[in-house]
Amino acid sequence: MNESWHAAGPAVAARAVTKTYGNGVRAVRGVDLTVPPGEIRAVVGENGAGKSTLMKMFYGLEQPSSGEILIGGRPRTLRGPAAAIALGVGMVHQNLMLVPSFTVAQNVVLGVEPGRRGLVDARAAVEITARLAEEAGLAVDPKARIDEVSVGMRQRTEILKALHRRAKVLILDEPTAVLTPQETEDLFAAVRRLRDGGMTVLFISHKLREVREISDQVSVMRAGSLVGTVPTADATERSLAAMMVGRDLSLDVDRAAARRGEVTLRVRKLGYEAPTGQSLHRLSFDVAAGEIVGVAGIEGNGQSELAEILAGLRSPTAGTIHVGGTDTAGLGVAGHRRAGVGYVPEDRLHNGAALDESIADNLVVDRHDRPPLARRGVLHPKAVRAHAERLIDQYAIRTPDPSVPMRALSGGNVQKVIVARELSAGPRLLIASQVTRGVDIGAMRFMYERLVAARDDGAAVLLISADLTELLALSDRLLVLKEGLLVGRFDDTAGLTEKHVGLYMLGVEHHDDKHLTAGLAAGEEPTP
Amino acid sequence: MTSTLIETEDRREYRATRRRGLAVDLSMTLATVLAALAVGFLVILATGKDPVAAYEALLTGPLERSFRVGRWLEDATTLTLLGLSVAIPFRARQISLGAESQLYAGALAAATVAIFLPLPPVAAVVVPLVAAAAAGAGMGFVPGSMKARLGANEIVATLMLNAIVVRVYDYLVNGPLKEPGSSAVHSERVQQDSVLTPLTDWFGIPLGRSNVGLFLMLLTAVALWLLITRTPLGYRIRMTGANSDFAEYGGIRVPRAIEWSFVIGGAVAGLAGAHLVQGVYGRLEPGMAGSLAFEGIVVALLARNNPLVVVIAGLFYSYLRAGGDIMEQQTDVGTEIVVVIQAVIVLLVTAQALPDLLKRRIARKQAAQKQVGAR
Repeated sequence: MNESWHAAGPAVAARAVTKTYGNGVRAVRGVDLTVPPGEIRAVVGENGAGKSTLMKMFYGLEQPSSGEILIGGRPRTLRGPAAAIALGVGMVHQNLMLVPSFTVAQNVVLGVEPGRRGLVDARAAVEITARLAEEAGLAVDPKARIDEVSVGMRQRTEILKALHRRAKVLILDEPTAVLTPQETEDLFAAVRRLRDGGMTVLFISHKLREVREISDQVSVMRAGSLVGTVPTADATERSLAAMMVGRDLSLDVDRAAARRGEVTLRVRKLGYEAPTGQSLHRLSFDVAAGEIVGVAGIEGNGQSELAEILAGLRSPTAGTIHVGGTDTAGLGVAGHRRAGVGYVPEDRLHNGAALDESIADNLVVDRHDRPPLARRGVLHPKAVRAHAERLIDQYAIRTPDPSVPMRALSGGNVQKVIVARELSAGPRLLIASQVTRGVDIGAMRFMYERLVAARDDGAAVLLISADLTELLALSDRLLVLKEGLLVGRFDDTAGLTEKHVGLYMLGVEHHDDKHLTAGLAAGEEPTP
Repeated sequence: MTSTLIETEDRREYRATRRRGLAVDLSMTLATVLAALAVGFLVILATGKDPVAAYEALLTGPLERSFRVGRWLEDATTLTLLGLSVAIPFRARQISLGAESQLYAGALAAATVAIFLPLPPVAAVVVPLVAAAAAGAGMGFVPGSMKARLGANEIVATLMLNAIVVRVYDYLVNGPLKEPGSSAVHSERVQQDSVLTPLTDWFGIPLGRSNVGLFLMLLTAVALWLLITRTPLGYRIRMTGANSDFAEYGGIRVPRAIEWSFVIGGAVAGLAGAHLVQGVYGRLEPGMAGSLAFEGIVVALLARNNPLVVVIAGLFYSYLRAGGDIMEQQTDVGTEIVVVIQAVIVLLVTAQALPDLLKRRIARKQAAQKQVGAR
C-alpha cells in the first residue's frame, strides 16, 4: 500500500503551508518543515501555536489553504485521514479513539481485519497483535477489553493499530499527558525501537524535559510560524522555552518556605459513594493556612470527586469536613463560598465559565447579589464593568473590552478570568484543579506566581494536578490518591523525585495508616 | 485556538467589529423579511392571483383606517405580552409552552374579580390585573417546580397543563360563569369601572378595541428588560440559561432560578389574559386567545428573547396578521399566504448560521485586505 514512497526524499514535509480558518484566523502561516525518515522529531509550541493544526494537515484532517504537504517524498492532496493512512501515516490522538467494548486485538485490527469472506479470524487477530506488540516492545494483553485496561495500554493499542496499518510515519499528539513517569519511560523505549526500525515519529509536546529526552531534533512553532529547528543535543529547556514564547522565560518558581498557620481545611474519614466514577474511602488530611498541599495521582483516581466535594458540588456520604471551623459537609455551593472556599474547576469549559456571556458577567457569578455590585435588589452594570476592568488589569487578562464573550478568549485567558474571580474573592481555602491544563507557558508561569502569592497571603491551597513536575515545583506537602484511597503522604517535597511519587501513584508502594494520619488531631470537632 | 483573534484587537478595532456585527444582524433581518415577502409574492403568482393588489392590501391595509390601526395595536398588545411571557423562561433555557394555560388562568381570575367583586374606581382596574398576574404566575409555578425539583420535562408538563386548563376554562364559560339567560356562550360583562380605557376615548378617533393595555404592555417590556439586565435575579436567570453547571458552580440555586423564570413568565401571560377580558372583549369568551399563545413563541424566537426586541417583533407580526385579514377581505388571496410569509421568516431567522457566515466572510475579506496592504 505504500509503494509510491520515494526512497530518498523526506518522510513528511510541508512547503510554505498556510492554513486560514473560516473565521479569518490564520492558524499556520508559511511553514516549511522537513522530517527525514527514521527520525524522532519533536514539535513544540504554546497552545495555539499551530502545531496541532499542522499535524492535522499531515493526517488529512485539515487541508492547507495554500502550500503543499509532502508524504514519502511526493506532494500529496489528502482529502481525509483514509488517504493519509493509505500513505502510511498513523496518528495517536490525545483523546484516544478506540471502541471501549472491543478487546485490544479487535481494536488493533479494526478496519483491516484478517480473515476471509467477511468473517473475522479472531485467533489471527490476537496473534497479529501479540506479534506486533513483541516486535515494537509495547506490552499489551490482546484479549483484554479496552474499557478494562489502563490508559497507558490503550495508548499502546493505538500505536499498534497504526503499526498494523503499516504506518511509516507516526504522529503522537501529547502522548505523555495521561501517563505516569514509568509508563512514559516504557513508551519512550518503544518509540526509540520503532525509530531504529525505520519509523519516522512526530512527537507533539509542551513538556520540554521529555522532548529533550526522546527527540533527535526539535522544531519550535510560535503563533502559527515555524521559529526554527535545532538538534536536541544543542538545546536546553531554557533555550527551547525562549524560542517558544519569543523571550527568555523560565518556569522555575521562586518559593520561600511555607509559613504554616492554623489548620484551615480539616477532612476526617471522608467517604463518598459515587453512582458513576470513583468512590472515595476514609480520607483524612489537613491543609493549613499558608501552605500548598499537592494531590498527585493518575487521573480518575478520585481527584475530581474530592475537589467537587470540597467545593460543595457533591455531598459526601461519610465523614466530616471543616473549613476554618465551619462544618461544610451539609452546605450547598453558596454555603461553601461563604465559608471562604474558592475553586478553580478542572474543566473550565464545563462549569468554569458561561462561554456566551461577557467577561464582566463571568467575573461576578459568586458576588452578583452583594454590594458594591448590587444594592437594594438592583444590579449596577457600571459597577460590574468597573469590577471587570479592575480584574482585567490586575490579572493581565488580554481583551479589548469587558463585554467580550468568553468564547472569544484563548484557553489561558479563560483560565485567567477564572483564577481572577476565585482569587479576588480572597478565599480562605483555594482548591485549584488542573490550573495549567491547556494554557500556554506565559499563563502557566502567571498561575504559579499567583498560587504562591495566595499562599503567602495566608490562603490554604489544595493543588490537584496530573502534572507531577508542576506538583513538585509548587507543593509544600504532597498527598497521593489511588482508587479513592490516600496511599502516600510526603510532608517534605524537597528532594522528592517524580519517579518516587510515580511508584505510589501506580500502587507499587504505599504508606501505612500510621504515617498517613500522623499528627492529625483526632475527633470530629475542630480544635479551637 | 480558532478564535484568538478578538483578544489581540485593540478597543477601537473591537468596537468596529461589534458595530459591523450589529449592522450585519440588522440588514440580515431586513433581507429576511424581503426574502419572505418575495417568496409569498411568487406563491401568489403561482396560484394565478394578482400579487400586487394582494400586497397592497397586506402592507398598507392596516394603516388605511384608524379602526384598523386599533385592531392591529390590540392584537399586538396580546401577542407581545405572550411573547414576553415565554422569552423569560427561554432566557433560563426552559422551553415553556405554557402561555396558553397561564393566559386562561389569568383571564378567569381577572374576570371573576372584575365581574363579581365591587371595588372603588382605580382598584377596580388594578385588582383584577393583579389577580390575573398571580393566577398566571401560579400556573407557571406548577410546571416550573416540576421541572426544577422533580426533573419533569418542562415541554410535556406545560403542554399537559394547557390541555387541563383549557378544558376547565371551557367548562366554566359554558357552565357556572355563563351569562344567565344568554343564548350565546360567554360570561357577563365586567363592571364598567374595571374596563381598560379604550384608546378611542383618549385620542378621539375610532381605534376599535385597542386600549390602555398597550401602555401596560410597553411598561411590562421595559420592566422585564430591567429585570433581566439590572437585577441579581435576572443575572441568575441569564447564567442558568447560559450554562447551568457554571451557575451551580458559582453558588446560584439553579432550581430556584428556573422556578422564578416560569413564575415571571406566567404572570405576564396572565396579564395578557386580563387584557383580553378587561380590554378587548369585556367578558370571557370561549377560545378567546386563538392561536396567539403559540405565535407568542415565534415572536420570542424572532426577538432572540430580548424583551425590548419582543415589542418590535410583536408589532411586526401583528401587522402581518392584520394585513392578512384585510388582504383576504379585499382580494381573493387568503390569509394562508401570511402564514407562508411568517413561516419563511421564522425559518430564515432561526437559521442563525446565516449571519455568522456573512460575518465570517467579511472578516476573511478584511484579513486578506490587510495581508495585501502589508505587502
